[in-house]
Amino acid sequence: MENLISIFLNSVFLGNILLAYFLGMCSFLAISRNLDTAIGLGLAVTFVLSITTPANWLIYYYLLAPGALEWAGLPGIDLGFLKFIIFIAVIAAIVQALEMIIDRYSPPLYTALGVFLPLIAVNCAILGTSLFMVERNYNFIESVVFGASSGMGWMLAIVTMAGIRKKLRYANVPAGLEGFGISMIIAGLMAMAFMLFSGITL
Amino acid sequence: MMMKLLRKFFDARRKHFEDGKKFEKIRPLFEAIETFFFIPGNVTQNHPHVRDSLDLKRLMSTVILALIPPLFFGIYNSGYQSNLASGLSLNFMAVFVNGLWIVIPVIMVSYGVGFFWEVLFASIRKHNISEGFLVTGLLFPLTLPPTIPLWQVAVGISFGVIFGKEIFGGTGKNFLNPALTGRAFLFFAYPGNMTGERVWTVISGMKSPAADAFSGATPLAVSAVSGAFNIVKSSLAKAGFTFPKLFFGAYPGSIGGTSALMCLIGAFILIATGIASYRIMFGGVLGVLAAAYPGYIFNQFYGNSSVPMLSLHPMYHLVMGGFAFGIIYMATDPVSAPGMNISKWIYGFSIGALTVLIRVFNPAFPEGIMLAILFMNLFSPLLDHYEIKAILRKRVPNV
Repeated sequence: MENLISIFLNSVFLGNILLAYFLGMCSFLAISRNLDTAIGLGLAVTFVLSITTPANWLIYYYLLAPGALEWAGLPGIDLGFLKFIIFIAVIAAIVQALEMIIDRYSPPLYTALGVFLPLIAVNCAILGTSLFMVERNYNFIESVVFGASSGMGWMLAIVTMAGIRKKLRYANVPAGLEGFGISMIIAGLMAMAFMLFSGITL
Repeated sequence: MMMKLLRKFFDARRKHFEDGKKFEKIRPLFEAIETFFFIPGNVTQNHPHVRDSLDLKRLMSTVILALIPPLFFGIYNSGYQSNLASGLSLNFMAVFVNGLWIVIPVIMVSYGVGFFWEVLFASIRKHNISEGFLVTGLLFPLTLPPTIPLWQVAVGISFGVIFGKEIFGGTGKNFLNPALTGRAFLFFAYPGNMTGERVWTVISGMKSPAADAFSGATPLAVSAVSGAFNIVKSSLAKAGFTFPKLFFGAYPGSIGGTSALMCLIGAFILIATGIASYRIMFGGVLGVLAAAYPGYIFNQFYGNSSVPMLSLHPMYHLVMGGFAFGIIYMATDPVSAPGMNISKWIYGFSIGALTVLIRVFNPAFPEGIMLAILFMNLFSPLLDHYEIKAILRKRVPNV
């Protein structure tokens, strides 16, 4: 239990997938102009991460990892080199399936999430979380917590960013820096403030 | 008489700074000097109009006034610690003069370099030079250790002014406190000059016997390393840090941040004039107590030696290190703090609580107030947004 809490705090604050590892920057910069859409995308990412990370865990440890195919009578096979492509395929497939399921059963949620759901299929934070999950040898329960809390950390970062950009609507940014330039600088300053938690060992 | 002469002087020179004239580029500098002497006659062009004698200039001058007690005490204390450590005379004048030698160059570099960037941006981007810089340029050196190399002061204030403020268009448009942005940059870029035991006291002259026995640790460092359970208070006392001493501030630390008493005088000025928000300050104090008391009480019953700071009485957190200075002068910065009332309470409370959490649980940083304020600066637009939304939701049915 303590272990799960530490994973949660670690991935929301200390090792924030966005501000500590800089994954998922593209949608972070593109979608943070409006607070409501930022919240929508944040929820969608959290949702997708909490499904894809455990799904990839199952696939990795029952199909790909060295010796994982023992149940099929093939203990000597190591398909680990396939993990990148398989993870990407799994994420894309799950996002597509989710889109169809949501469209069928909850049209209001579908319209709310709109274009963000397909966008998530190419969000590197999703793939990054699955790869970190393998690297850090999490077990299944830990991977569920890790996926969900990484998504919450990403959501925290993008919603904060949207709030700051709302405040900066009246800012007078030098001509060459408008748009992406100033957003990158804001992201850097945010990462500096998030250093608050670096050094805490949980 | 004097004022008439000055008025004439400025009126005669104004024509050189108009568009198309020789000094057109540095008009902001001319206007800054002129408005230093005379209140500008301009009024707001569009409504809404608010008739009030408070303007940015008076607001900033009041903050400067409130900064004078910690500034003078900081000069005295830097000299006192330095003379104490190097075994020199502790006579008041000697101490004060030594303090001036330590502190004045730091402030001059901070003002000089910062003013250069301010004028450069104002001239090129055609906005006014803001008095806000007078505050930033003084706050920044007061948070630094007395031994800071002057070139690092220049680097820090440059980063603070450019990336903390000017890149967003100047005063009022930034989202982080510029002075703390500069300090945080120095803190991560040159940690050797910003933390540790050696940076808090200037040791001058020959190495005397007094200097050999000298430790230089700050109270926060002493309490973080004091081994076993329940002895933090005694190890603080052994190092000479009693509660009254910590309150008055005669201990090694950043130039202006050591004396809780002097900061309280400043807080009184700021609250009485309504310049800074008492909500943020009281929220901060509540946050410290709320975060420190549960651990303290728990620790009285089940001692845990792995986190010695837990056995420290919560009141110590209020007077030690930079908390008082940070919550009074830095957290109340009207630009980077939230504007709504409940948000201010939440903001102050979170700063206090985070400061204690960092001091107690984060072994990487002995002091947490700087990053706690910067961290909450990030959330102040969100706090404002949601408070406004909540108020609107309550009012809509009545419309």
